[in-house]
Amino acid sequence: MSNHIVENLRKEIEAFKIEEKTEKVGAVLEVFDGIAKVSGLSDVKSSEMVTFAGGQLGVALNLEEDTVGVIILGDFSRIKEGDVVKSTGRILEVGVGETLIGRVVNASGAPIDGKGAIKTSKAYPIERVASGVVTRQSVSEPVATGIKVIDSIIPVGRGQRELIIGDRQTGKTAIAIDAILNQRGQNMICVYVSIGQKDSKLRKIEARLEAGGAMAYTVIVSAGASEPAPMSYIAPYTGVSIAEYFMDQGKDVLIIYDDLSKHAVAYREISLLLRRPPGREAYPGDVFYLHSRLLERACRKNKEYGGGSITAFPIIETQAGDISAYIPTNVISITDGQIFLETDLFYKGIRPAVNVGSSVSRVGGNAQIKAMKKVAGPLKLEMAQYRELEAFAQFGSDLDDATKKALERGKRSVELLKQLQYSPVKVENQIVALYALVKGFMDDIEVAKIKDFEAGLVAYAERNAKTFYKEIVTEKMWTDKGEAELVKVIGDYKMSFEK
Amino acid sequence: MIMVKISPKNIAEAVYLATEGKSGAHLEEVLKRSVKILADRRMLGKGDEMLQALQKIIDKKEGIVRLKITTAGNMSASERKKLEEEIKEQYKAEKVISEYFEKEELLGGMRVEVEDELLDTTYRNRLENLEKFLIQAR
Repeated sequence: MSNHIVENLRKEIEAFKIEEKTEKVGAVLEVFDGIAKVSGLSDVKSSEMVTFAGGQLGVALNLEEDTVGVIILGDFSRIKEGDVVKSTGRILEVGVGETLIGRVVNASGAPIDGKGAIKTSKAYPIERVASGVVTRQSVSEPVATGIKVIDSIIPVGRGQRELIIGDRQTGKTAIAIDAILNQRGQNMICVYVSIGQKDSKLRKIEARLEAGGAMAYTVIVSAGASEPAPMSYIAPYTGVSIAEYFMDQGKDVLIIYDDLSKHAVAYREISLLLRRPPGREAYPGDVFYLHSRLLERACRKNKEYGGGSITAFPIIETQAGDISAYIPTNVISITDGQIFLETDLFYKGIRPAVNVGSSVSRVGGNAQIKAMKKVAGPLKLEMAQYRELEAFAQFGSDLDDATKKALERGKRSVELLKQLQYSPVKVENQIVALYALVKGFMDDIEVAKIKDFEAGLVAYAERNAKTFYKEIVTEKMWTDKGEAELVKVIGDYKMSFEK
Repeated sequence: MIMVKISPKNIAEAVYLATEGKSGAHLEEVLKRSVKILADRRMLGKGDEMLQALQKIIDKKEGIVRLKITTAGNMSASERKKLEEEIKEQYKAEKVISEYFEKEELLGGMRVEVEDELLDTTYRNRLENLEKFLIQAR
């Protein structure tokens, strides 16, 4: 055994070739808060990796006349004034490959889950220009999030960028995690990028994904709250580079940036330390480009270019519901729609606390399956009417029958769209429940009993409306035969429910 | 009025141009005025930086290359001379100014630094590279 080890080591050492060449070096002038000012390094490129004497990695960001401003990726407390800094000639890159699946890595791609080293097959630069126009295709296939209100009213397609926005504690991460959990068996790789979050929250999320079997297709990239700002700054780019690897293999990827507000804050910190001029809310002038170049990398490629896709769910945390602040308006304008969560709705018990009126999906409608479109159309209209009438009905006591009917239907719609966390619903089941709602089968069911009715109906229909389910799965739309079967099944179930 | 920020390098360039070809009382007068400007602009604290920049300018104009060599053991006079000759030829320098250091921890070989270029052939560096190579091979 020991002979074998010695033999292997000998072979490895023999394979080692010494390359003596001159290197460009510099010296640390000052170090502070994850930033180093370095003299020398005359030929260094912007975003080039540099290495410090202690092995820490850095990235050259500010190229000035006599000095270079470097962000330090890792522990900067051991870097001293006068330490040698070497340029590498390489733009910052991250190891990518199938081996990353199921693992938790930090912003530079190193494992932090205690499951050993990760051997990756390739390295991708973390900053890449987004795919060009000719390689792209419009969004046409849905991402099933398993959340009724999203899949029906604010549908998301593969390759779309849909913003999740709301105050703290409104369930933004919950939506993202539910979406990941629902990707089981949907041929989707998920990348969850945690930026500036508490380690306890990340641990909880990882445990939840593990329990739901979602780590089998998920990679977690984390830059924790205790890590220096440069790590938070590069984390989303690392995440999207990993996602691009899978997209290049022709796979569909769902990436979640949780959250970009903290990312912008980390970048503001770096920019101010690098003495870049501050602008609105002290953010630097290129904070729009910071997020636009990141989110532009989400796309759907056409068949000739592999047909993969990256769907992005960036998350933004607002302060007191103010979506007109700098970063929220920037990201709203970059993305293809937003899911707007409200504290008021959350405390009213409407969970997920999605404000259907302010939420929108600009391209997802094209990706919705035909059957879902058929039931979601009337639902959207009824919800819009309900919102208007709800405010109006608070003043008037005498309401006509049509108004009363619309109000009652609206209450039932809101009730039906409520959903518990970690309980994604299959698209077919969503269609059955929404069909029963929009066709008026639930109008005479008490609002308080809607959830029970839905649960029972879905279970009953799954057993008894086999033709309908088969048609939805294979044809994405029902036929007259399937519809007749479903109507009968709903009728039968309703009779037994009322008894 | 646009206030342009003056760097120590700018002042060094100005001092060099103002003193070029001057000597004796003339040179002294120019240097006095230079120090006065630094004091007026509250830049005396940047004196060191300015002197370093001035040194670089003079080196460049006069073709001087500064060399820093670190070895594990002592280098003989002939070895030093040979090395300096080679550097002189490679950098097309008029004159080479060398500084020699000894560090036992380098184990062997030598480390040559010219401006921001480094050639490290020390055994320690080779061992460190071998260590990195073996870790990557795992």
